[in-house]
Amino acid sequence: MIMKNKIGIIIGREFNERVRKKSFIITTLLTPVLMIALMMAPVLMTLYSEGEEKVVMVVDESNVVAPSLISTPEVKFESTPLPIDVAMHEHTGCFAILHIDKDILENPNGVRFYTNGSTSIGLEHNVVTQIETILQNEKLKMYDIGNLQDILASVKTDVNMQSYKNSANGGEEAETSSSVVATVLAYILSFVLYMFLLIYGSMVMQSVIEEKNNRVLEVMVSSVRPFEMMMGKILGVACVAVLQIVIWFSLIGGVAYFVLPHVLPAELLATIELMKQGAPASGGVDMDMLQAMMMLTNVGYVLKVLASLLVFVVGGFLLYAAMFAAVGSAVDTPQDAQQLQTPITLPIIISLLVMLSVINDPTSSLAFWFSMVPFTSPIVMMARVPYDIPAWEIAVSIALLYMTFFAVVWAAAKIYRVGILMHGKKPGFKELWRWIRY
Amino acid sequence: MDLIKIENVTKRFANHVALDDVSLSIPEGSIYGLLGPNGAGKTTLLRIINRIIAPDSGRVLFNGCEMSDDDVYRIGYMPEERGLYKKMKVGEQAVFFARLKGLSCKEATSKLKMWFEKFGIEEWWNKSVGELSKGMAQKVQFIATVLHEPKLLIFDEPFSGFDPINANLLKKEILELRDKGATIIFSTHNMGSVEEVCDHITLIDKSKNILSGNVDAIRRKHGANIFELDFRGTEKELLAALDGCCEVMSVSTSPVGFNKVKIHVADDADLRGVIAKANESVELRSFCEIIPSMNDIFVRAVNGNL
Repeated sequence: MIMKNKIGIIIGREFNERVRKKSFIITTLLTPVLMIALMMAPVLMTLYSEGEEKVVMVVDESNVVAPSLISTPEVKFESTPLPIDVAMHEHTGCFAILHIDKDILENPNGVRFYTNGSTSIGLEHNVVTQIETILQNEKLKMYDIGNLQDILASVKTDVNMQSYKNSANGGEEAETSSSVVATVLAYILSFVLYMFLLIYGSMVMQSVIEEKNNRVLEVMVSSVRPFEMMMGKILGVACVAVLQIVIWFSLIGGVAYFVLPHVLPAELLATIELMKQGAPASGGVDMDMLQAMMMLTNVGYVLKVLASLLVFVVGGFLLYAAMFAAVGSAVDTPQDAQQLQTPITLPIIISLLVMLSVINDPTSSLAFWFSMVPFTSPIVMMARVPYDIPAWEIAVSIALLYMTFFAVVWAAAKIYRVGILMHGKKPGFKELWRWIRY
Repeated sequence: MDLIKIENVTKRFANHVALDDVSLSIPEGSIYGLLGPNGAGKTTLLRIINRIIAPDSGRVLFNGCEMSDDDVYRIGYMPEERGLYKKMKVGEQAVFFARLKGLSCKEATSKLKMWFEKFGIEEWWNKSVGELSKGMAQKVQFIATVLHEPKLLIFDEPFSGFDPINANLLKKEILELRDKGATIIFSTHNMGSVEEVCDHITLIDKSKNILSGNVDAIRRKHGANIFELDFRGTEKELLAALDGCCEVMSVSTSPVGFNKVKIHVADDADLRGVIAKANESVELRSFCEIIPSMNDIFVRAVNGNL
């Protein structure tokens, strides 16, 4: 009873100290803004670059291509009667000069593109595609088929594939799964994990070192057991981490709930509702977008992801924070901590590397084993959760993680107990091992 | 009644023995000095009493019973290296430490206000500790140590870092706490403060308890039979009279005729005879034993000539 109370007092202090800091408030509020800005950046960039029109002068000796080139808001084609060598001297102010040979229909390699400045892959691609279509049409015309345009129009087909989970496999209703969303989520979630393990973990270490140098520990240790001190600190920081996640998700959720319906076209939302009821999608809507929206509005899926995130953040954080606390207790300065810290940060970095391959193939055996090993499982498993993986794998991974957590906390507490009263010498791994058995 | 009884406590660290079969008892209501050179094992002993570390063998009795975790509520400990959270507000921090010692938030606040008033530091309440000077921070630490009115107070080098005025204030507070019924242990190198405030001492050297007991008794016991004579007259007559029955250590004369002689008397010598001979030769104004200072005893004990 009394012991619980003391951990509570320490948790309270750790929590209050951190949450009241200006830096906490700023990072908590700014990070979602930054994240949203990062996601919006590509859109903004396209919007911005659209405003600037690039002029391409066309020297078409065949006179086949130039009349059919279609200018877009991005690029404007202008024909010039000048021969190419003159044009190259005259038109140094435009973006580029396109030179097409006389025998372009027979020799499709006779296209040259002279840029006056840096080139643009998107624009080159646009030019090549247009020329290809024009030449194909010209060649088709040579076969002299009547109402060619009508035939082409009726032949043209666009295929949109919707992927579903096999509902015979235990699912109650047909759910769509979008691999794009899963991939993006996997990236975001495992980076969130990475951040919490490393940043909050070393935050625990820093603060233990600081207390040790301040000699506050000496005062504390006369009224609180070292284990309670360590757990109080770890749990206090964990509360800060959870609070931060909750704030972020409520901010993002709030934006999604209140702002998105006004931004997205109503038609899209209606289609999503229909599809949820099992109706096939009507044409005219961007399928990728549709599937992404469906997945993100699927409450069960979102809850599953959020719940796993919470369980793995807490479990992974507790595991790593205990190790960081032990290292912090053993040294006098952050510099001394470098060497002892390496074996802790290594698994985190390995999991990040494995995560990249997991995203390509979430069911590979590499992905499976690394999501079971407790030291890498938080990050790797979190990268797998957005994909549909069997629930038992998640359960086993969680069980292993929390079991390891208890073992590690036990060992860390032993190191901590000895370490906090040691000053002036920098212990090696051998020494730490002795403290554990001591 | 002994508040603390330490029985055959031994504590080993990796490559040395910090305490070797140390026993001592601390009477209730006393001020107990723990003396010893650096590295003798004083802090280890204090940590064992505080239950920060456990002894390898032996036991510690608190009020006649083996110590338990709850006893820490009845102990206040001020370590030698003072430690406070630098970024925390003074008042908040004191409340935090008081709560760890089992006080409620409200209780702690009202008691703290009282102490802050007593020390005249009310305006520090909302300052952060980093803004305080070392001496100021020590006052706060002292208050945090005694706030929960523990039965046992342990101070490791309490006077280091205090200016004489604040050291006196602290001494006064310590004596007052003793009068209110607290038992106080402090470790120190400052022998002056030992003679002034301690009732009992233990001298620890090389992990062993080499001297324990009441301060006055120890000083008398280790008196080296040195006496000082104050007299009016010529020292030649006195020296001639004393010749043969004792050894003269030093002579000091003054122009107005008041002189002093320090003598060493053998253990089995007849002190009455010495006084009688002196009395006959000069006008004796005082004859008193020079009791060794704790400092002398400390140095002699540590060097092994006690």
